[in-house]
Amino acid sequence: MSQLENKVFDSKVTRRDLIKVFGASAVAATGLFGASKNAFAKSAPHVVVLGGGVGGSTFAKYLRFADPDVKITIIEQFPEYITCLRSNDVIVGYHTLDELTFNLDTIKSKYNVNVVIDKVIGADFDKRTVQTAKGHTLSYDKLVVSPGIDFKFEDYEGHSKELAETKIFHGYKAGPQTLALRQQLLSVPKGGTAIIAPPQNPFRCPPGPYERASFFAEYFQKHNPTAKVIVLDPKDRFTKDGPFKKAWERLYGYKTDNSLIEWVSGSEGGRVLSVDGDNLSVETMAGTFKADMINIIPNQRAGKLAQKLGLTDASGWCPIKRESMESQIQPGVYVLGDSSIADAMPKSGYSANSQAKVCARAVADTLRGNELGKAIYSNVCYSLAGENYGVSIAAIYEVRDGLIQPKGKSAGVSPITDKPAQPILEAVYQKNWQREFVKDVFS
Amino acid sequence: MKQSMKLNTLLAAFSLMAATSAQAEPQMATGGAMAWQCAPCHGTNGQEFVEAMPPLAGMPAKQFIDAMIAYREGTRAAIIMDRVARGFTDDEIKAMAAWFEKQPVKQWENTSLTESLEAQAAAEATGGQE
Ligand SMILES: Cc1cc2nc3c(=O)[nH]c(=O)nc-3n(C[C@H](O)[C@H](O)[C@H](O)COP(=O)(O)OP(=O)(O)OC[C@H]3O[C@@H](n4cnc5c(N)ncnc54)[C@H](O)[C@@H]3O)c2cc1C
Repeated sequence: MSQLENKVFDSKVTRRDLIKVFGASAVAATGLFGASKNAFAKSAPHVVVLGGGVGGSTFAKYLRFADPDVKITIIEQFPEYITCLRSNDVIVGYHTLDELTFNLDTIKSKYNVNVVIDKVIGADFDKRTVQTAKGHTLSYDKLVVSPGIDFKFEDYEGHSKELAETKIFHGYKAGPQTLALRQQLLSVPKGGTAIIAPPQNPFRCPPGPYERASFFAEYFQKHNPTAKVIVLDPKDRFTKDGPFKKAWERLYGYKTDNSLIEWVSGSEGGRVLSVDGDNLSVETMAGTFKADMINIIPNQRAGKLAQKLGLTDASGWCPIKRESMESQIQPGVYVLGDSSIADAMPKSGYSANSQAKVCARAVADTLRGNELGKAIYSNVCYSLAGENYGVSIAAIYEVRDGLIQPKGKSAGVSPITDKPAQPILEAVYQKNWQREFVKDVFS
Repeated sequence: MKQSMKLNTLLAAFSLMAATSAQAEPQMATGGAMAWQCAPCHGTNGQEFVEAMPPLAGMPAKQFIDAMIAYREGTRAAIIMDRVARGFTDDEIKAMAAWFEKQPVKQWENTSLTESLEAQAAAEATGGQE
């Protein structure tokens, strides 16, 4: 056990130590360590969470609901978390990054969670320990991993991590990438072209590239009406493509000669094969496209940490048991969010939040020696096809025939109707959802 | 410390319940497990009182049940709740209703952890029955 851990959990800790680790408000609020009478008994199990993003933070909060006495530690590499949710808005100026920036302070103080800002570099599953970059070793009883995604730059000739940091930005992890895309969009000359190249399935936020394309078109319509966005897609279908394309027709002249958006499908040769950063051009099956900005959203796999810990299979993602999110590869280790293989569930923040809650109950039940309850998952993805035009997809999920599948007749996308209120209300709900969602995750 | 004792009794009841219900393969998720899934729109434990989506905490069970069934059967106009409601059976809707009815009628940010744990344990202890 490291010093760090002793300081937090040793039964001999002083009140001053508690305040140091958990903050005065936490200690004052409960007068105790956990939420019930047992002030984190020395025997209380320790659950360590790697990654304090959507999955990790939700998990810690809800595990506290499911078990007031368990010791919980989150190890997160960055002191602040910028949500990808609504980061497309930042590119076109509907939001600022500041409004999307959160931290784990409330998770720490309100839910008595030990938060360590450090990078996880390895784990020893036999000894049940994890190692951090600053040299700490923490032991755990259960380990939960929610590290997000990693990009496969190697799928595109000429692409690299370096090029993605200097010229061909992805904007699929929010922060400097988002601002760089904004800068490029604002610099597209009159009548210029922006290319967006979405990835192959499966990938984080399936509607993300198409929401982004919509926003670019809306931006051009207002500020640069002869410019246009070309979507070069390796796929023939994409999520909510019905309602998205209807919105493009209604808003951006899609399918007309003056359309602000052109979408090149996989069968039409839309897949990007290579990129030339100096000449700002891409090679596809359909030929060469030159542009004033190129946004390649690369193919993806589970977060680097999940790969490093050996939690991935040949697909590059992490196989899990559907009732609990426990790894099929390492017992006692759970994988949440984008990194996991969750069958019909999309890789969304909503899904990561949903899975975290199922997992919290499963971990609490397992630690108590109880049978697992029945798992129930959900997802709602609201996207904007314009600032005041929303489209959504929703489903409740259950485990059936060993897979996570839509339950009842819940799965569906926004109906295409002539009711003008539908897309407007969906846009209102989307904004409502975003404000509410981050509260459920971080406070 | 009075609160703490109450909480402990409730928690003990909860564990016991979980243990007894564990004997047979569970047929459906618990009211609490389902209710947690509503949080991204309706607030943690349904305790969001300042947004467009209605708060669910403290909603009379009958009101919740009637609304969900009407959404599911298509007799109440909806933007997305029709799709969501089609994922739940009558029994599941009743269990969620009983659970939400027991949550504090109070903005989540102003609810202490202890207060919420008590409410959640009390709701679980009903076993989803009104
Ligand atoms: C443009 C865009 C828009 C989106 N919009 C929506 C939306 O509207 N709705 C929606 O539901 N979803 C949306 N998403 C998807 C959503 O952001 C992700 O699905 C979600 O963040 C996944 O959660 P996660 O916990 O798997 O990963 P993340 O939230 O990425 O969290 C991973 C965390 O792990 C940390 N980490 C990684 N490695 C280490 C390490 N070695 N040591 C310590 N910490 C580590 C990271 O720093 C990070 O904080 C959007 C995504 C994008 C790109």
